[in-house]
Amino acid sequence: MRRAVGVVYLNLHSFLFFHVLSLCLGYSPPGKPKLTSCRSPEKETFTCWWEPGSDGGLPTTYALYYRKENSDAVYECPDYHTAGENSCFFNKNDTSIWVNYNITVVATNALGSNFSDPVDVDVVYIVQPHTPENVTVTVMEDKDGPFLRVSWEPPRKADTRSGWITLIYELRVKLEGEEEWEEHRAGQQKMFNIFSLRSGGMYLVQVRCKPDHGFWSEWSSTTYIKVPDYFPRETSVWILIAVFSAFIFFILTWILNLKSNSVKHCLLPPVPGPKIKGFDKQLLKNGRSEEVFSALVVPGFPPTTSSDCEDLLVEYLEVYTPEEQELILEEGKDLQEGCLKSKGSPSDSDSGRGSCDSHTLLMEKCGEGEGKEEKHQERAQKGKRQQKHQTGWEEGDVSHTREDVLSPDMSEGRVKTWPSVFSPLPQYSSRPLDHQGSLETARQLCLSDSLFPPPSTSSHLSYNAKEGLALGSGQQEFYLGKKQTHPSNPQSQPRWHLQAHSDFNISSMDRKQAASGLQLPGFRSTEYVEVQRVNQEDMVILQPLFSSSCQRDGHLQIGQGEDYSKVKGVDSGNMLLLQREVEVKREEEDGDRYSCDIQDRVTESCYTTSTAASSQVTGKPTSCAGTAMPVQEEMVLAANGYVDAATMLL
Amino acid sequence: MAHRGSQATTLYLTALYMLVSCTAVPVNDLLDRASQRSDKLHSLSTSLTHELDSHFPPIGRMIMPRPSMCHTSSLQTPTDKEQALRVSESDLLSLARSLLQAWVDPLLLLSSSANSLPHPAHNSIYRKIQELQEYSKSLGDGLDILSGKMGPSSQYISLLPFRGSNDIGQDKTSRLVNFQFLLSCFRRDSHKIDSFLKVLRCRAAKMRPEMC
Repeated sequence: MRRAVGVVYLNLHSFLFFHVLSLCLGYSPPGKPKLTSCRSPEKETFTCWWEPGSDGGLPTTYALYYRKENSDAVYECPDYHTAGENSCFFNKNDTSIWVNYNITVVATNALGSNFSDPVDVDVVYIVQPHTPENVTVTVMEDKDGPFLRVSWEPPRKADTRSGWITLIYELRVKLEGEEEWEEHRAGQQKMFNIFSLRSGGMYLVQVRCKPDHGFWSEWSSTTYIKVPDYFPRETSVWILIAVFSAFIFFILTWILNLKSNSVKHCLLPPVPGPKIKGFDKQLLKNGRSEEVFSALVVPGFPPTTSSDCEDLLVEYLEVYTPEEQELILEEGKDLQEGCLKSKGSPSDSDSGRGSCDSHTLLMEKCGEGEGKEEKHQERAQKGKRQQKHQTGWEEGDVSHTREDVLSPDMSEGRVKTWPSVFSPLPQYSSRPLDHQGSLETARQLCLSDSLFPPPSTSSHLSYNAKEGLALGSGQQEFYLGKKQTHPSNPQSQPRWHLQAHSDFNISSMDRKQAASGLQLPGFRSTEYVEVQRVNQEDMVILQPLFSSSCQRDGHLQIGQGEDYSKVKGVDSGNMLLLQREVEVKREEEDGDRYSCDIQDRVTESCYTTSTAASSQVTGKPTSCAGTAMPVQEEMVLAANGYVDAATMLL
Repeated sequence: MAHRGSQATTLYLTALYMLVSCTAVPVNDLLDRASQRSDKLHSLSTSLTHELDSHFPPIGRMIMPRPSMCHTSSLQTPTDKEQALRVSESDLLSLARSLLQAWVDPLLLLSSSANSLPHPAHNSIYRKIQELQEYSKSLGDGLDILSGKMGPSSQYISLLPFRGSNDIGQDKTSRLVNFQFLLSCFRRDSHKIDSFLKVLRCRAAKMRPEMC
């Protein structure tokens, strides 16, 4: 009895001693272990890991105990080694799903044991698969460029074929050297394409997976893939476009450079400069306006009649009239020729350029105041009258006086009294003769008539001094020389002669008178008339020629002369009737009556008076007189078409 | 008249045939849709439990009933993979439908007591419970259609009455505990449903092995 108690007492004592010794030595029971995690990779097995606490200095063993929810049996971990240290692996036989496991880990050492906190685990909630396997990345070519094709397989143990476990995958890509991954969710598929790669880049690819309700697996091991060098199509297209555009641009620039002038001309039209002949811009810039404007004075401006002469086609009309008119014409012609011969005019009056030639002739005549001058109509008319007057006068003197003017036609025996009439006319031409002058002349004639007893038969010579000259009826012919065609004028010769003298006298007187009485400025009254054209009415339009002879003292009336004499027609008496219209400005001065300035309008009355030369001429011209001088219509054209358009101005 | 009548009959039959054919969604498509729905259901329930756990009193975990106390625990379901793969499609569908059916009432209770739940996130919990109800309803309808196509045995639904009281508790802790317990039970059951349907999906999608 005592012995049993003694043994028990001894055991207890040793035990206590041992413990006290242990405690004194610093040993302690193990610390509390802790279950860190339990995981199932495929929902068929699972593993739990714990974390041991302090071991207390003594060797400590750990045990895991578990209990299923619907039983109270405690089971210990079947496998401590498969999963490694401090783990417990539950194999398929020991794993039940949709069952709560109450797991506890016990740490035991010599001094004691320690239980961990229990953990409730349902396998289906702790599924974490392994990483996907066989991750392969390949570079594929596409029309847009290369791309990566990543393919993998599910972890080996995960049974996805039966649908037991459904995995969804995820991959991530990054360029070598970068820090940020580019993650892509791939769903349940086991393949994925990556586009928009950088040519020549090295890419890293990783894949992981997750069950539908579980934890993500670890990332697979990195797969390296190198993208080959390629040229992006988009860039190449843009480069092509850029090159092409540059090419076009250069070509355009070159063309623009070539045609820079025309382009400049088109875009910036040059400012027109002054185009005045003789205009000097420099002078203008210098500010000397006087010099500038003086330079503008062109000697040849305004154009003189010479230019008109050039412009006009001159046709000389040869008017032939039977009998008297022919004679007269011939006389005129002879006169002309005589003039020409006498003057030695270099040009041929019949060449059609006669206007200029006549101009020169006129010039000479005007200048010399001699020679043949073609008269104005009035003048001619006057002359005609004079001729009439002179019919009865002596002819011998006439012939004598007219030696120089006699034409070769003398041989014909025709007396050309006209030249006699004309001869004094040059003297008249020095100044314009107006009606007054003509009147004076007429008076003179009268006077001369009175001096010499006019033949009684010279009824034709009746005239009215006031009215003007009267012409012998029908006496339009003049005979010079010895012959007397008009028996009615038996004394024509002597008269003529006298008349010739008287003419001279008259002319001289006239001249004086003209100088005194008439303010006859200027000169010349003879004009040349040239045929401008023949209009529809069969009117020969004549135009008196104006040369510089028309010049007056400081008055340039040249060029104004649009005078033209129209041939009204030929009347019964075979007389060429001219109509003269003058549109020239008229001078206010009475004396300034040049043919240029004549503004006469041939009136009918005037005309009739002249036309009535065949009959009684009542000296109508005076009736026409106004300021505008009626033009003596009776004009006979010279053989060469000239009509003396002596300026019979007012 | 007779001609017109025959015409009308023909027309009616054609329309009916077309209607029937139009509604004939393939089974694998139906299963796919159902498994997607169940997946969503489970995800929602999981998030709910986690949300509730954020402000759960530690003592509540102590007094939490065991999961075997779920009212659906009486239903025999496969406990491992081999067992599950041995179950026929019809049975699997039947199980799914039974489980789903068993949770109609408890979800009502949960939704009714969610607003008064002494939890800071009770509004969010309430919204999620309502979503649960919607998904559960639509899934149930889909499974009903599926069962019609899969044979008569799939029509059988095990009744799992919910014997829980109409209220989840009186005090705050008990209410929370009860609420959490119910949600945990639902979480498991929804997972079961999802798993069964996905197995069924893979079995039906023989033409598309890439799905499984």
